[in-house]
Amino acid sequence: MLGKIDLDLIIIMSNIDNSILYDSVKGIQLEGEFEGSIITRCKDDNDSVIFSDNLKISNSEGIFITEGFKVGFELNYNKKVAFSRRIEAQWYEDFESIEYSILISEDIMQIYDEGQFSDAFPYTLNKLNTATLYLNDYQHEINHLEFFKEEMLRNPVALVGNGVIVADRVVIDERIDPVFYDCLIVGRDEDEELSVSFEPYMNVKKSLTDVKYIIILGIEELKL
Amino acid sequence: MILYENSEARLLNIIRWGNNPFKKFVCTSEIKEELDLVKSRDTLIKNIKSIVKQNNNFILPIIGDVGSGKTHLFWSLKNNLYYYNAFYISLESVYRKFFYNIYSEFLENLKIGPLKFVVNQLCENWGALERKYGFFHVVDIEKVKHAAFKQLSTKYSEIESETLIDAINGITTHQLDPYKKIEAERWILGKLMDAKELSILNLSHDLHKGKNAYIMLRLLIENSKLGTILFIDDFEKIISIAKPQDKTPEEVFDPSWLYGSEMSPNDVASDKIFTKILQLQRIKGLRIIITLKSIDSLDQIKRKYQEFDSELLSLIKEPLYLKDFSEDDIFEFYRNTMSTFYDVIECNEFTQTFENPYFPLNKLILKNIFDQTQGNPRAIIKILIKIFNELIDDEENLDLILKKYENLDN
Repeated sequence: MLGKIDLDLIIIMSNIDNSILYDSVKGIQLEGEFEGSIITRCKDDNDSVIFSDNLKISNSEGIFITEGFKVGFELNYNKKVAFSRRIEAQWYEDFESIEYSILISEDIMQIYDEGQFSDAFPYTLNKLNTATLYLNDYQHEINHLEFFKEEMLRNPVALVGNGVIVADRVVIDERIDPVFYDCLIVGRDEDEELSVSFEPYMNVKKSLTDVKYIIILGIEELKL
Repeated sequence: MILYENSEARLLNIIRWGNNPFKKFVCTSEIKEELDLVKSRDTLIKNIKSIVKQNNNFILPIIGDVGSGKTHLFWSLKNNLYYYNAFYISLESVYRKFFYNIYSEFLENLKIGPLKFVVNQLCENWGALERKYGFFHVVDIEKVKHAAFKQLSTKYSEIESETLIDAINGITTHQLDPYKKIEAERWILGKLMDAKELSILNLSHDLHKGKNAYIMLRLLIENSKLGTILFIDDFEKIISIAKPQDKTPEEVFDPSWLYGSEMSPNDVASDKIFTKILQLQRIKGLRIIITLKSIDSLDQIKRKYQEFDSELLSLIKEPLYLKDFSEDDIFEFYRNTMSTFYDVIECNEFTQTFENPYFPLNKLILKNIFDQTQGNPRAIIKILIKIFNELIDDEENLDLILKKYENLDN
């Protein structure tokens, strides 16, 4: 019961502050140029996500992103490989290829920032190149959780259920379940409304939840 | 079975076991004073609080005789202005390594939590929290250092580049490089470091050397959310270094024989410290309270300002005076001290027990002490210590002691 109340509070708080720029399900489409921390989820087979600090929506021309960072999977010699790629400038003329774009409030981002300088965990591992930690796929399953058991990795992006998680770090606990720290969660509630929340930590039980993938972003690729 | 208890005898016994309620007549910066000032000094505290609230930079002189309670005033201010970082220095103790010693005192009062917060804020101001693609914090230490140097070299143009670079390296390494954090924290805390440790951190000097402590002090105070109050006790030391108080005609040795008549080593030392005080005054948000023994000292200091930097003269506020005790104050002070003593010996009920509220002394003795000392707090405490010591050491009859001090004039 308490958990439900907390969740409701988070959703109410989030909805006041965040701006849904485009939502294909609810038919929301705000025309204009937007700046801030924007998550765009693509409608493709690989559940790609684009992170950007700007986005332009034009009814006639579509969605335009410059200096974005796209994360997802691609097939490479019949193997699924995680990628993260800088988008210099891209028009998504066909709105059909985007599921939603959401601008996260500065208040939430500031809370997210506070976790960034935590000196409690100085020895967090940075991956140089973007790589898959876990992929739940019938044909191309990848699971490196056991290998990273009791380690802490920086910059994970995950798709759990229909929610996107962007976290500062992820720890693989002794039961080989991932625990995300300082995470932003974007997803849809029971009424298909988009919502954003910040959680100091989030325990994800693989056996109980629908974890689709966990990608660890490469620090060198972020620097590009 | 005890049917009734003789509280007076019990208190006297406790005192005779060696418990003197009046233990010290000199207040120090090291031992916290819990006893508040007497009521007649409330106005002084109110005036100081109002000046502190209304001004960010000033020098406020407090003038009071020897033993009037100037150091005790510091503790009272610290308690009253608890939301400021108030710290104490005596010019005598920080004569050498001036900025380093002040920095150490400042940090000791600030504590590690707020220190880390300020250092974190500095890095944020220098762009360390820049979000790549709207989300990701990709720390580029070199970029942050470059931005920091650009900001600070314009703001503190009078400071040497090497000093600024050391401060920037120390702070950014502490915040952004987890593998060198522990060493960088030692540097920030002012520990002595050898050349190897410094070279790991890419630093030239630790905070003992040059102006490193000054720039760190300035950065921390100017970026601290808490206001800062520096209480400098015995400020006239700055004059006495130059002009020794001893005016005996006998001439044993005059430094001018060696160094020429214009600048003796004492003059040079005095000027050096004075120049450093002027530099402290340039720190935005640093409120300085100084204590002096006389108005003459203040006039001399003002003349010195005129000579060095007349612009800063305007920052010196009108002096406030710490007056000696009034007659009522001695009664209040005695009762408050006894009440604190009862707390310590866990006999709080004694505050209400005695018919004579000044037991084991009486009002007449306190009045006599006041007349004898003309209300000087230190002199009053000295006599009270003496009386209670007589009670402890000699185990004299209380009545005899009381009689002796009731006729104190004789």
